Amino acid sequence: MNSQHSDTFEPRITAFVCNWCTYTGADLAGTSRLHMASNVRIIRLPCTGRIDPLFIVKAFERGADGVIVSGCHPADCHYTSGNYHARRRFAVFHDIMQFLGVDPRRMTFSWVSASEGAKWKDVVNETVANIRELGPYEAYRALAPDAVEPWPEAVDGLTPAGDQEPAAKEVAS
Amino acid sequence: MTGPAIAPAYAGVDELRRVARELLESGEVRVIIGWEDARRGARPVFITDPAEADKLIFDTRCVHNLVTYLDPRRDHVSELGRIGLVVKGCDAKAVAGLLRESQLSRDHVVLIGMRCGGVLEEGELPEPLALTPENVAPRCYGCDNREPTLTDHLLGEPQPEPPRPVMTIDERVAALDDLPLEERWAFWTEQFSKCVRCYACRQVCPLCICERCIVEKTQPLWIESAAHPRGNFSWNLTRAIHLAGRCVDCGECERFCPVGIPLSLLNRKLQQIVHDRYGYTASDDPENAAPIGDYRLDDQQEFIK
Amino acid sequence: MSRIGVFVCHCGENIGRTVDCAAVAEALKDHPGVAHSEDYKYMCSDPGQALVKKAIEEHNLTGVVVAACSPHMHEKTFRRACDQAGLNKFMCEMANIREHCSWIHEDREDATAKAIDIGRTIIEKVKHNRPLEVIKIPVTKRAMVIGGGIAGIQAALDIADGGHEVVLVEKEASIGGHMSQLSETFPTLDCSQCILTPRMVEAYQHPNIKLHTWSEIEKVDGYIGNFEVTVRKKARSVDLDLCNGCGDCWAVCPSKRIPSEFDAGLSNRTAIYVPFPQAVPNQPVLDRENCTLFKGRAKGLKKDACGKCKDACLKNAIDYDTEDEFVVEEVGAIVVATGYKLYDVGREQPEGLKGYGEYGYGEDPDIIDGLQFERIASASGPTGGEILRPSDGKEPKTVVFVHCVGSRDIDKGMAYCSKICCMYNAKHAMLYKHKVHDGRAVAFYMDIRANGKGYDEFSRRAIEEDHAEYVRGRVSRIFRDGDKLKVWGFDTLNDEQVIIDADMVVLATAIRPNDGVKELAQKLSCSVDVDGFINEAHPKLRPVETNTAGVFLAGACQAPRDIPDAVAMASATGAKVLSLFSTDELEREPAVAVVDERTCIGCMRCALVCPYGAIEQREICTVDGQVCGHTAYVNPGVCQGCGTCQAVCLSNSIDLQTFTDEQVYSEINALCMWE
Repeated sequence: MNSQHSDTFEPRITAFVCNWCTYTGADLAGTSRLHMASNVRIIRLPCTGRIDPLFIVKAFERGADGVIVSGCHPADCHYTSGNYHARRRFAVFHDIMQFLGVDPRRMTFSWVSASEGAKWKDVVNETVANIRELGPYEAYRALAPDAVEPWPEAVDGLTPAGDQEPAAKEVAS
Repeated sequence: MTGPAIAPAYAGVDELRRVARELLESGEVRVIIGWEDARRGARPVFITDPAEADKLIFDTRCVHNLVTYLDPRRDHVSELGRIGLVVKGCDAKAVAGLLRESQLSRDHVVLIGMRCGGVLEEGELPEPLALTPENVAPRCYGCDNREPTLTDHLLGEPQPEPPRPVMTIDERVAALDDLPLEERWAFWTEQFSKCVRCYACRQVCPLCICERCIVEKTQPLWIESAAHPRGNFSWNLTRAIHLAGRCVDCGECERFCPVGIPLSLLNRKLQQIVHDRYGYTASDDPENAAPIGDYRLDDQQEFIK
Repeated sequence: MSRIGVFVCHCGENIGRTVDCAAVAEALKDHPGVAHSEDYKYMCSDPGQALVKKAIEEHNLTGVVVAACSPHMHEKTFRRACDQAGLNKFMCEMANIREHCSWIHEDREDATAKAIDIGRTIIEKVKHNRPLEVIKIPVTKRAMVIGGGIAGIQAALDIADGGHEVVLVEKEASIGGHMSQLSETFPTLDCSQCILTPRMVEAYQHPNIKLHTWSEIEKVDGYIGNFEVTVRKKARSVDLDLCNGCGDCWAVCPSKRIPSEFDAGLSNRTAIYVPFPQAVPNQPVLDRENCTLFKGRAKGLKKDACGKCKDACLKNAIDYDTEDEFVVEEVGAIVVATGYKLYDVGREQPEGLKGYGEYGYGEDPDIIDGLQFERIASASGPTGGEILRPSDGKEPKTVVFVHCVGSRDIDKGMAYCSKICCMYNAKHAMLYKHKVHDGRAVAFYMDIRANGKGYDEFSRRAIEEDHAEYVRGRVSRIFRDGDKLKVWGFDTLNDEQVIIDADMVVLATAIRPNDGVKELAQKLSCSVDVDGFINEAHPKLRPVETNTAGVFLAGACQAPRDIPDAVAMASATGAKVLSLFSTDELEREPAVAVVDERTCIGCMRCALVCPYGAIEQREICTVDGQVCGHTAYVNPGVCQGCGTCQAVCLSNSIDLQTFTDEQVYSEINALCMWE
């Protein structure tokens, strides 16, 4: 990603956002020229109600170090209640992932409205800072089947030399 | 050495046999699904001949949740005709789940509810044993439905609370909760790495009702089907969250798991989550709306920025 | 095999300054499935669009990715260009490398790398796009208006004048609503009946308006353009075709002591009655609950206890054996104008509300609400327009008006302002002073909210010209003390307690949604807010629409409204309905959910979460017609494309077109495939 000219770890973050609030809020951040970290890749969906927890799992499987899920504030949902259903779904998902040992800081959930370009910038920068601190999600990558080369070398190269792998790797393999 | 005492059958077995016989004789049902005494222990039995009604038993070995036979995937069962089903309290909750999700017509089944005082963790025993902290199915401790309400016939006598197991499921969940994140991760990834993807947990679950499980969907392939740690993690996580707010804690998934993954801990954690966040407990009232698919304007959102 | 064209836009310097567009185009050229890739200064310009069209033809493209600005900006532009070049427009997507990349990053290398990632993501999505057709829905050009108050009448007239048939449904025996009860209206003090009655008659006589009075909505099926509404015509016992409204029936009715709803309980009516002299239709209804004959029947008397009205009717229009009738009306749009009721101040309250026991309403006849004062002040009212108090018919020399009774009182369960009370209190004080010159009008208020044309001038007139005494503060207690009502209040401007010996007290009680609105909203798949008013689709931009397409809101069913607001909203709904009726077929984006019937088991979790009630259960049959199961079915006319159904489907048997699982999956994959 951004590692070509940097030796530091550059987190890979996938964001699932709703079309009407957060995507438009991120547009506003652009229109307002609010500079932010470049580690987040956005996937646009109509509503947070559309976001299946499997999206997050798949993002981790594919090497994401962190995930953002963001949509309309309560009562602002373009579809009236999609975000309320999403709130329950992700509350349960958030809690169970934590029970399974996933650091909750790997997953940022936020409400960002179409007028909150500045908040989007903060969400992005805070998430990037958190993930930078946590380091690459080696523990999840260690789940990958050995036979398959799951990520290209460039990704492996992201891990700083001598970086200790979390204890879980041995346990899982 | 003296093991646990042999326990008498639960009260109501005579009534159970009489009711079953009458239901079959009158033609009200075509088949009774209950438990019988086999050489190695209790096992499910399908009875169509009234003369065989005396085979039915009900004691601490009757661990099986027979509601799984009502699963719409098993249409060879529903083809038998109207079913008389013997249910414990936990099983009745599963019936309510099927009714809630339009998978069962209430007219299709006559429910014979048994007042229950708990079952053994393992039912494959020649004689029923008295429950002790060592042998009781841990999920029975704290059961809130020893007397099912979703029934057509309620038999037996009120039973005392089963003994407290050596370590309750809640205590085991709490012990895991107390571990640091990395150790929990290590624990679960190790457990899941044992998974051979036989899907016994799914097949036996009375509420895993999909005709085509998501794990069998290949386009796109959300859950990798090979038995490697990554796919296993996705599968076990997905199975659990698909049952969030639906699981009735009958314990069959764990009992059937050939590699001994402690699925009841995962299930219990989800029960705790929906209870703590949404005040929901599984019950055998079909009108009791499930928490996922519902919402309140003031649901907790402390995890959202 | 996909043949995708990638078009990278510089947007002048907007993208080009931070993103190396040529490098992006070059990198994406080698992406699997890309047949053509180029960059251009202004892709949205005519020459830019021409490049896209030319490439579609030259390279026989199956998909187009425009890496430029936000899809909210130019998706339509490029989809139209694709359409013109013969490529299904839903095969075109935007990769947002301006708002989400060049404008928020400074480092050229970072931004370029990110732009390439974004391009790849969208290319992978487009590989799974499917050609889709715009959904066309036929429109029944006939409207229903629910509620025959001023808002409903105005909406009905506007639509009917536009040349379309309107079904106007009113639950009372006459149209007119609350406005017909009012004496004079602010801020002009013209007589309410004088401006309303002609409208009522116009609606009644309009060739395009079909009127159902004494009727309620039983059931609503269907969706925009194609509603089927079942109307319950309550048994009226009077044949409207035969009745000529002569009045012989009510003259002989023995039940004469039933409180009149129209006079807010200040006068009595008979069991067979017309609500008020100007009623439309001016024909009676038999109130079965209070009729001697029906009370007798309910008790099981073998012989009817009365029958005088039937005997008196020379037209033979009365029939005691009629039953509720059900009429199904097919309409393309529905306007809800169910209006309001007043908060009942007394101690007994429905769930969620609290009363004001300390104000003595309902316990002392001289403590009345605003509508009762309207009737007292009305020339057609029980006192013939003279201000006389209900207890003894004497002229009250001191009248206290209390603002905000219930409104803006969170403790009582109503946080909102009822909007009209400040104005009608000023009007009441004026009307009183105009009729009782030596009288004293005292108003206790919290703030004066007079924000309409001529409104502030009007409320100032009440104070300055008619000398109403305005006291800023709340009233704590009202109680009877001999001939007087003691009003204990507090003047917060002078910081002193005020006690007034009043002859009559008028409480400006809060506006509440009408009874049954919540149930009606459910039938229409609309939601209500915390106070029970129906939710509009957007508080600013779609104030008269609801989340159910084809259902519109006029007047106080949406929030407290005064007459000008209600009429304006009504005309707005008229415009909405007429614009809907201006086409024979509605066109909708095909972003709708589709059920895979092969794997759906009909658990209906999807229907539970659908905000629009678009999902229903359908039976599936074998070839020989045997029902062999049921599945969910999404009505494409109702679905708005949120996809909430899809995320709750355990077997992934429902898929949202334009954001399918395959598309999202490919996007997630793309983010880490090519480093």
